[in-house]
Amino acid sequence: MSAFVEVDDLRVTAGDAPILPGVTLRVEAGTTLGIVGESGSGKSMLVKALTGLLPRGVTATGSYRLGGTEVDLGGSDRAWRRIRGSRVVLVLQDPFTSLDPLRRCGTQILDSAPGGRRSRAERRADVARRLAEVGLPEHVADQYPHELSGGMRQRVAIAAALASEPEILVADEPTTALDVTTQRSILDLLAELQASRGMTLVLITHDLRLAQERCDDLAVMYAGTVVETGPADQVFTSPAHPYTRALHDAIPPVDARLDRMPTVAGSVPAATDAPGCPFAPRCPLAQERCSTDPVRLGPLGSAGEREVACLVVGETVAGHPSTGPDVPPVEPADAASRSDTSASEAPSVGPADGAKPALLRVDGLVKQFRGATARALDGVSLEVRAGESVGIVGESGSGKTTLARCVVGLERPDEGSVRVLGRDGPVNPGPRDVQIVFQDPYSALNPALSIGAMLAEAASVAPPGAHRRTVGELLRLVGLPEHYARRRPARLSGGERQRVAIARALAPAPRLLVCDESVSALDVSVQAQVLNLLADLRDELGLALLFISHDLAVVRQITDRVHVMRSGRVVESGPTETVLAAPQHPYTRALLASVPGAVLVPVLQEEPA
Amino acid sequence: MSGADVATTTARAPRRPEPSRARRAVRAARRVPGVVTASVVVLAGVAVLVVLPLAHGSALDQDIVLGTTPAGTPGHPLGTDALGRDVLALTLAGARSAVLGPLVVALGSMLLGALLGTLAGYREGAVDAVVSRYVDLTLAMPALLLAIVVAGVVGGGYWVTVLVLVVLFSPGDVRLVRTAVLQQKHRPYIEATRVLGLSGPRVMARHVFPNVRPLLLTSFFLNIAYAIVAMSGLSFLGLGVSAGAADWGRQLADGREILYDNPAASVVPGLAIIVVATAVNVVGDWLSERLDTGMSELAEGSVPA
Repeated sequence: MSAFVEVDDLRVTAGDAPILPGVTLRVEAGTTLGIVGESGSGKSMLVKALTGLLPRGVTATGSYRLGGTEVDLGGSDRAWRRIRGSRVVLVLQDPFTSLDPLRRCGTQILDSAPGGRRSRAERRADVARRLAEVGLPEHVADQYPHELSGGMRQRVAIAAALASEPEILVADEPTTALDVTTQRSILDLLAELQASRGMTLVLITHDLRLAQERCDDLAVMYAGTVVETGPADQVFTSPAHPYTRALHDAIPPVDARLDRMPTVAGSVPAATDAPGCPFAPRCPLAQERCSTDPVRLGPLGSAGEREVACLVVGETVAGHPSTGPDVPPVEPADAASRSDTSASEAPSVGPADGAKPALLRVDGLVKQFRGATARALDGVSLEVRAGESVGIVGESGSGKTTLARCVVGLERPDEGSVRVLGRDGPVNPGPRDVQIVFQDPYSALNPALSIGAMLAEAASVAPPGAHRRTVGELLRLVGLPEHYARRRPARLSGGERQRVAIARALAPAPRLLVCDESVSALDVSVQAQVLNLLADLRDELGLALLFISHDLAVVRQITDRVHVMRSGRVVESGPTETVLAAPQHPYTRALLASVPGAVLVPVLQEEPA
Repeated sequence: MSGADVATTTARAPRRPEPSRARRAVRAARRVPGVVTASVVVLAGVAVLVVLPLAHGSALDQDIVLGTTPAGTPGHPLGTDALGRDVLALTLAGARSAVLGPLVVALGSMLLGALLGTLAGYREGAVDAVVSRYVDLTLAMPALLLAIVVAGVVGGGYWVTVLVLVVLFSPGDVRLVRTAVLQQKHRPYIEATRVLGLSGPRVMARHVFPNVRPLLLTSFFLNIAYAIVAMSGLSFLGLGVSAGAADWGRQLADGREILYDNPAASVVPGLAIIVVATAVNVVGDWLSERLDTGMSELAEGSVPA
């Protein structure tokens, strides 16, 4: 049998360093292959190799066949342009940068359309037809990218990609930068286009749940190798490779709250040519031979549809083809070293009888930015009690970030008040009681300062009465080794950086931590680690959390109460369990329904008593 | 890498034997032949600067009887000028005024730029308005022409020229720093310091400025090169150093009259200006490039291996 896309032993190297030590893939015509992996797994390099866009100094070897013809991986730019122009096209993650901001959308779509000289009217008709195909009105052709929303821009990018009538569309994280509801509509669009054009789709994503929902087959990548392939449903419901299983377990469920997110210690290593399984050092099933014997993708079970690159699991299952692989659950604890700091001063939580005093009171907050037509905040009131964890959920533009910035004093509200209630007196304006952790771990730390200097400075502003934490203490608190104090942010991974950002926020001994999408930019497995860390800190330090996120599943794991925001207003509030299990507001329901792989939410609810 | 960083480091983990920053820089520099040459020139310039005040007196010794002699005259490898002064000694002595002034100009401009630029960028509002108008005003005027006018009115003099050039060069640095600070200001890591409640000056000095430093250093070296040319130009017009002093621009002007008798008298100082200015430029370029990659480690860290 020959597939439409056949990649055999594709190797990508930068000088002597292997980036992909050998990837083998097959995609049948007209189907969707999902390539799943975390950052560092090499999925983006794979895409670049398959579209001839490898950076200078990086070379690819191996066999790559497209619809029966061999593609020269080391071909000239000119040869590649012919292939990219007509056979393979690429849609990138960020619709904000993939379009030229200075040119109208219509001309950008026409750029890649075939067909030589045509009249103006013909060209207009062509653009209109192509825009209609992606569900956009004709007038978009005359607009500039900045006049469109993120979702519309991504539609234009897709229309431009399809203009060359490709056989294969490669979409690299096409919806990661978009809101959940927009994400769903873009994915629906891709599925429709695929069906109507009989196109082959390769979807690159970090989101296993999304891949399962949208793809026919999956290939899971780790450290530059494919560790598991097979039909999407099977890979998702009974993951064979320990890594796939860990990845699967690290996904926070939207319909249940886990005491603790299962995690895998460590992070994705760099690809190597050395024999042995790259996952072995982190694998709960690892045996001695795993790190020495060569591992290759081999068939799993008797059906012949699935393949797995694991010495241990491959054997186990070969004996019992009917049952799923029997893999013990991954270590549920965050294995990063953590000393017992629970004895450190817990802020006075108030009377022990459970009636916790309010810590933060936000009253009728209104904020309108200059030049904006709508209010970013339109009368938001809420309260966070000591030691409590409150979630704010909403899409971009809902005002949740503005709310966070008002709470920490980075924005001044037009109306209303933000009050932080003091330890003793009724009102304590000390801003140090409230600290914030931002979304992007890469811009959260000053590249010019060492971690130690950063933390020492943050600790120096602790209120006079409080215990002053040392740098070592702070690093231990967030599960980082002490010698990280000498490092600069550049040498840390995204997850480590976010831990440092949390440590910095904790340094002045705050009582409320505002997390503005603090885990959204992290890989699933890292996200699970950071969620556990936040939960631990909340319990150990009696810290209150104001947790802002667009991700309902994450909010479900960490918050006690939740407020759903839309257009600057709170549209629904209540205990997290109740709101997510029985949403009342249509917007909350829409949000829930757009979570990939979400179980259908019962729409009919009993009226609350 | 301030002392504070080291002091706050409480960890006692084993130190990894990493090559020091300086050693790595030297190793990288060896791979670029142009940089090696330029570095040698700059170092030689510095050496001349240090050693020459000793020989300075004799370089100006005149020998009117001897007058102009061509290169190769015994005792005068590059000949003598109209006043019988040894061209080689004069050129070496001239290095002092050729390099010292521009160094001060670039340094002054950098200090003013750092101070006013950070202030304007961080404070915005009225402070920014005042600083920016000063910048606009000075940038709108033809710099060298203004220098000529001022030198003409005040009566010239080496240090007057230096001062005028500092005022004229600084707007570029101010603007550079201001823009960089404005970009930095809204980065989450700067906002985090605001949430921590750190004072404005502290945030500026410890958090914003270190990220602006590489840019400023690039501009510093460029300014030296520009100032060398500018000051020699002013001396050529007779507005820089006083008559009779050892100065390349001056030599260039004086040498014109004896161009046929001793071409070396004007060609050598002319070449010296070109070589030194270029060398400073090359070294500065390379240095700032290296510093720049140090800063963009930020991006490097996010690239999947």
